[in-house]
Amino acid sequence: MKLLHTEWLKLKGYRTFWVLTILSIISILGINYSVYSIKQSQTLANPQVALVMGDPFAFPHVWHTVAYISSFLLFIPGLMIITSLTNEYTFKTHRQNIIDGWSRNQFIHVKILMVIILSLFSMLIVFITSLLFGFISSKPFDFNEVQFIGYYFIQALSYGMVALLLSVLIKRSGLAIGVFFLYSYIIENFLGAFLNYGASSKITKNGPGDYLPLNTTDNLIPFPFFKGLIKLGTEPSVYVLLILSAVYLCLYYFFTVRKFSNDDL
Amino acid sequence: MILSIEGLSKKYGNIQALKNVSFSVPEGSVFGILGPNGSGKTTLLGTVMNVIKPTSGGFKLFDEIPNAGHRKLIGTLLETPNFYHYLSGKKNLEISADIKGRGKEDIERVLEIVNLTDRKNSKFSTYSLGMKQRLAIASCLLGDPGVLVFDEPTNGLDPEGIAEIRSLIRKLYKDGKTIIMASHLLDEVEKVCTHVAILKKGVLLTTGDVNDILSSEDIVEIGAADLESLKTAVTALTNYTSIKTENNLVQLFYPFNTADLTAINNYCFSKGVILNHIQLKRKSLESKFFELTN
Repeated sequence: MKLLHTEWLKLKGYRTFWVLTILSIISILGINYSVYSIKQSQTLANPQVALVMGDPFAFPHVWHTVAYISSFLLFIPGLMIITSLTNEYTFKTHRQNIIDGWSRNQFIHVKILMVIILSLFSMLIVFITSLLFGFISSKPFDFNEVQFIGYYFIQALSYGMVALLLSVLIKRSGLAIGVFFLYSYIIENFLGAFLNYGASSKITKNGPGDYLPLNTTDNLIPFPFFKGLIKLGTEPSVYVLLILSAVYLCLYYFFTVRKFSNDDL
Repeated sequence: MILSIEGLSKKYGNIQALKNVSFSVPEGSVFGILGPNGSGKTTLLGTVMNVIKPTSGGFKLFDEIPNAGHRKLIGTLLETPNFYHYLSGKKNLEISADIKGRGKEDIERVLEIVNLTDRKNSKFSTYSLGMKQRLAIASCLLGDPGVLVFDEPTNGLDPEGIAEIRSLIRKLYKDGKTIIMASHLLDEVEKVCTHVAILKKGVLLTTGDVNDILSSEDIVEIGAADLESLKTAVTALTNYTSIKTENNLVQLFYPFNTADLTAINNYCFSKGVILNHIQLKRKSLESKFFELTN
């Protein structure tokens, strides 16, 4: 708790942190609202669409839908983690914190704790957003499919830990942010598609590419629309994905702590 | 001992920043680590503060295996002032105090000591170089630790600031604090330190009491027609620390202000050696330093 209090003192006066926090709340609400209004206008104009789609923003599907849509914004907590750590490198305050009497272990674990707290916070926003849209729709409240909110938390943890690992490895904010975006949004999707294509000769098919570090957690929340209508190949088993996510999270943790403990700071 | 360095070595790739350095810092001393730029002073202190990992060797703090708790008992300024640029001086000190496990109540006192009270609410990024340095010294003083480590403490300060910091260090010494200070300024070490270790290219050249190492000494140059009999005669002399022959002259080294030319002349005369040259020379501190580091 003492350690978190110190971290709080660091963040409290940091404007970028607050801007990103508010931005993440607004954008989660905003992106879900955009998809919601597109869906509304489409179903009004074209009643058949409503038949095919069902109502993704009504209970119980709303948990799944909102978790899926919001997961596209996971770069925001990632950015917060990267700035929080690379700032320390820029100001050399990571050295000063150690000099003043934190152990290296304490320093890096506070940052890991921040990843967990931000993921929980992000999950809470998604939970509330789901409730909001759920209540707008006419169907009664239902906790079925709420597990997707939990999957969202695992996905957020995974993005946050990747951001932290990249920050520890790269140390410079611009480069770390660049690599983070490039990897999470481009390289891995490309590599995933390439691996899947190579394995099955059909680009839509599933394959080893689904088990790349971030794809693993992405796949916990599959495409939520037109659920009954199309199956994009066989979906990977949730249990396999959960176990693999845990393995990846342990690896991020292990390498982050090891790197920070052994480096010249 | 406050700090014992034991065979410390550090390599950065091919560069040997520290080579098997050992020395000890006794309690209550002002211990100067003297050396030109790039001699390994900051690497040495960084290792002691656990921000640099040694290649081999180790050290002890307070005669114990070092841990994070020891660092809380030491106020350290390493290399540059490291603070959060977007926070005020006061807020930065709150963070330092929080980490050190000290209360906030000491912050006003240390700000007063370094004359930063007026600017305590300004952002760190608006501070001048000298103010940043003074804030770093204030941070060291938080909680009134018994040991202080200053790496180039007068860096970036104007002459008045330098004088203030030096008198602060002297005051801390009088209060019984142990101070470890790295500097490339001989004059600074000579003025405030009781002990010194001299580093050059990562090698410890010498360490000990500052008066033994840095104080200049008397050199008596004597010459006679018969150099050999002069040499045999003077070997029986007492009090000198060393003897050397150079350019057909014998050089006798005495501790500062102890050479007695008349006595030497008389002695040689009594042994039947007539001197044709006798001269007292004093080495400047600078030439002593260059001699040590070259």
